[in-house]
Amino acid sequence: MAKQLRILHYVNQFFGGIGGEEYSNTPVQVREGPVGPGRALQAALGDRGVVAATLIGGDDYVAENEAEAAVSILAALDQVKPDLVIAGPAFDSGRYGLGCALVCRVAQKRGIPAVTGMHPDNAAVITHRRDLLAVPTGTNAAEMAQMLAKMTALGVKAASGDELGSAEEEGYIPRGIRKLVFKEEVGYHRALDMLLSRINGEPWRSEIQVQRYETVLPAPPVRDLSETTIAFVISTGIVPRGNPDSIPGARSLEAGRYSIEGIDSLDVENWESVHGGFNTRILNTQNPNYAMPLPTLRELEREGVIKAIYPYFFSTVGNQTAVGPAQDIGRRVAEELKAAGVGGVIQLSG
Amino acid sequence: MEENGKEDIVVVIGTPSPDSSKLYALTVTEGDPTWAGALAGAALNLPVFHITEAEIRDQIDEQVFEDELGGVDMVLDVEDIAEAVRSVREGVQR
Repeated sequence: MAKQLRILHYVNQFFGGIGGEEYSNTPVQVREGPVGPGRALQAALGDRGVVAATLIGGDDYVAENEAEAAVSILAALDQVKPDLVIAGPAFDSGRYGLGCALVCRVAQKRGIPAVTGMHPDNAAVITHRRDLLAVPTGTNAAEMAQMLAKMTALGVKAASGDELGSAEEEGYIPRGIRKLVFKEEVGYHRALDMLLSRINGEPWRSEIQVQRYETVLPAPPVRDLSETTIAFVISTGIVPRGNPDSIPGARSLEAGRYSIEGIDSLDVENWESVHGGFNTRILNTQNPNYAMPLPTLRELEREGVIKAIYPYFFSTVGNQTAVGPAQDIGRRVAEELKAAGVGGVIQLSG
Repeated sequence: MEENGKEDIVVVIGTPSPDSSKLYALTVTEGDPTWAGALAGAALNLPVFHITEAEIRDQIDEQVFEDELGGVDMVLDVEDIAEAVRSVREGVQR
């Protein structure tokens, strides 16, 4: 029988049995043996390995104190000396996903193979795709045992030292890594075979993975503007002067949320654009309102054309942000606006 | 339950969707499927019903049901909920 693998399993404070959201600031800590889902992991491992210890970290703590958390993770790895690290699965929980990703990244730097599991849209996949060996999961935590079984199979293979096959063969989320391979048929033969299959209505597959963009259906028209609160959601990079949230000039992953309550017009003393993809000189020395026409909307508010302007606007820099993170920003903004009863949004893009 | 045994115990749940119903039904039968809580790995194998299932509903005074749960059929997907809970229950019986 092959040597039993020593496993270190990472879970968040919830699955670690410490508590819910109110305990999400729990620092990283080690417990001996399996905890919570670790027992299902042990069952999936059978005699292939033993869950030697469980690493537990609070979602907020790990997401907000990455450097300190990494030090604790490293200490745990040196203490437990695992052959393999299993993190999560985190399903669609973004902060938990980032925690799992951090544990995997630290372990891999130490030369220890690491496997996690999460939804392909998890923020951690978007941010750390190339570094993660992650089994795709759904959003339903009730699939814990099945997902751990898949993660175990992948982990045991990764720990065996055998070269892993492609994402499709092994069942992990594609990392975006291209490898040079040899095919028996030359390219034009393969292309013609593909074309013939397509013409004949037979199954065929492209050799190139193309990102598919979703079709966004327009929202239904606003029925009565005079009864509707309107919000500004902009990607022209307007922020309070000094950029308190450090919104970057490109590849932004966040939107700032700023109050315009009682303000009729943006001035250059208090506002600026931090957009890095166009010339902001006029906005920043003369008139920031070109990037968010607040005075005009205030006029319409006074005239009763619209009911009100939402007292906060959301601003990011729409410069080279990938589709996934942009959707995340949009989702977060939409959640607040929907909850606040905002009926329409004016979007300005930079 | 450790004290009194599980004879004569039936679990009635009032969960709002087929997924959540299945989750709670599994928790009191096979054990917590998310492996997060105290019932992870604990197979209690208790019979479980959703309050809108006929077996439970027919035993409740009509007026009481109407007062407490009137209109529930319009709000919840009671058929799929019943199916989800039944499948867990029958899985246990097998």
